Amino acid sequence: MDVDKLKAILAALEGTDVTRITWSEGTETIDLRLGHPPSPAMQAVPVATAPVTMAAPMTSATPPSVAPVPAAAPPPAGPAAGNKTFTVNSPFVGTFYRSASPDSPSFVDVGQVVKKGQVLCIVEAMKLMNEIEAEQPGRLVEVLIQNGSPVEYGEVLFRFELV
Amino acid sequence: MFHRILIANRGEIALRIIRAARELGIETVAVHSTADANSLHVRFADQSFCIGPPPSKESYLNIPALLSAAEVSGADAIHPGYGFLSENAEFAEMVMHSGLGWIGPRPEMIRMMGNKIRAKEAMKEAGLPQLPGSEGVVQDERELGRLAASVGFPVILKAAAGGGGRGMKIVREKEQLGQMYRTASAESLAAFGNGDMYVERYVERPRHIEIQIVADEHGNVVHFGERECSVQRRHQKMLEESPSPALNDKLRERMGRVAVEAMRKVRYNNVGTIEFLLDERGDFYFMEMNTRIQVEHPVTESVTGIDLLKEQIRLAAGEELGRTQKSIVIKGHAIECRINAEDPMSFAPSPGLITAYHAPGGLGVRIDSAAYEQYRVLPFYDSMVAKLIVMADSRPAAIMRMRRALEEYIVEGIKTNIPFHKKLLMYEPFVQGRYDTRLVEKLLAESVAENS
Repeated sequence: MDVDKLKAILAALEGTDVTRITWSEGTETIDLRLGHPPSPAMQAVPVATAPVTMAAPMTSATPPSVAPVPAAAPPPAGPAAGNKTFTVNSPFVGTFYRSASPDSPSFVDVGQVVKKGQVLCIVEAMKLMNEIEAEQPGRLVEVLIQNGSPVEYGEVLFRFELV
Repeated sequence: MFHRILIANRGEIALRIIRAARELGIETVAVHSTADANSLHVRFADQSFCIGPPPSKESYLNIPALLSAAEVSGADAIHPGYGFLSENAEFAEMVMHSGLGWIGPRPEMIRMMGNKIRAKEAMKEAGLPQLPGSEGVVQDERELGRLAASVGFPVILKAAAGGGGRGMKIVREKEQLGQMYRTASAESLAAFGNGDMYVERYVERPRHIEIQIVADEHGNVVHFGERECSVQRRHQKMLEESPSPALNDKLRERMGRVAVEAMRKVRYNNVGTIEFLLDERGDFYFMEMNTRIQVEHPVTESVTGIDLLKEQIRLAAGEELGRTQKSIVIKGHAIECRINAEDPMSFAPSPGLITAYHAPGGLGVRIDSAAYEQYRVLPFYDSMVAKLIVMADSRPAAIMRMRRALEEYIVEGIKTNIPFHKKLLMYEPFVQGRYDTRLVEKLLAESVAENS
């Protein structure tokens, strides 16, 4: 296939919604994928995160310590209300807490705007209280997990709106 | 008895454990990596927890995540299955220190058998026969002559610094011994910078026979007969059968008896398997012990009629064995073929999507598998897709049944070793039951010769 023909195809696709085209001619096949990101609804469940190493055995005699942990990498927005949202996912399996203790207020409430690095919740694993921090600023839209419930690795904890 | 078991494994064995637990009225908790979210063990367990990303190190080998999942799920025991953390003594200890039941032998048993040298020493002391040879490095030719005479020809000279088949010499006659020793030692010195040699009896046609041990926490031990595991390629078992065509009742009784006596001496608990090397004269030698349930346990279940997984869970909970050796009766013949996602000739792994799947059935056919149509065989884990087990009155009938079942087995989208198994089930040395650990090698060499 010559370069001019390729250019012509690309020009013809300019401004359209086409993201992929396969073109066969004789023995040649060309598979083009264009730069537009696929729509969120078409994406697979996001599962990106850096696993956190936790060393304390369950029988550890030391009092529960608090270790700040970055939240699971925010996956692309889900198909929820508005088009500029992101989620915060659990970095490991454990128990989800919205506040530092049963009597203290929630770290964050719906409608509140958080800064990058602000503590959002605690996921307790192996008797360790792991603080989950915001990786980027945003306004809390939804809390998906009930206080004190078990959470899985990668489970969506919060939905935020970009600000 | 346990109330809720967490299964620290995946695939067919996780499903196998769920089945056993269900029949015992015990709830199950599955754990899985993100890649295994659609697995059958996740589907059939009462609860499930995603514990990490696909690589085993971050999920199925992730001890903090497993213990955390056990805690949040309210499990009171952990079953490790086989592979992964099943023979990790530290994990077993952490499970027990967390106040959970460990469904397996005590950590000290796992530790003892996990170290080959310590295991050999302990088993020698416990009365299991060892392959005769020099205890250490041979000092000189005079000592070698004396040792070789007591061991009996042929003997094998092994370079202390060698490995992987290098620096080995087989000596068949006394007259060759001195000359071959000098050559081997000089070669070893040149190749490894060390001329030290060991000598051992050389087994021409070794068979791999293993004895299934079942023990409770109260000192009661029985064996469930043997499994013939000589059909191997590069030490990977491909097919197992029980009983072994190489054993008669007398030999079986003797192997079982010494195995049980040794296990009583070390106070072994739960299930385990002692691997023996059996030579052409009917002498057997301790090789190693596996301190877990084995992949090939279904052949033993088929000929004894006893569910080994249920037995294992029950005994881990502290129940009495309640069986005598006499009550364990071997009946009929069972064969298991391991169906792997791999090229049938090159054995290269073949992960991918199963586009069509039909498992064989009928009388005497059992499939232990987590596969289904649209199941994806993942590149992160081992390539075993299924275990096909047949049971019949006799060995010839079992062979016919396995051939029939293999014909019915359809797996499309990935390559499997089913064509290899079909060949193997027609191969005369196998059909005759006259084979050793070199069988697969021979079959492959003959296939290549035929095709060229």
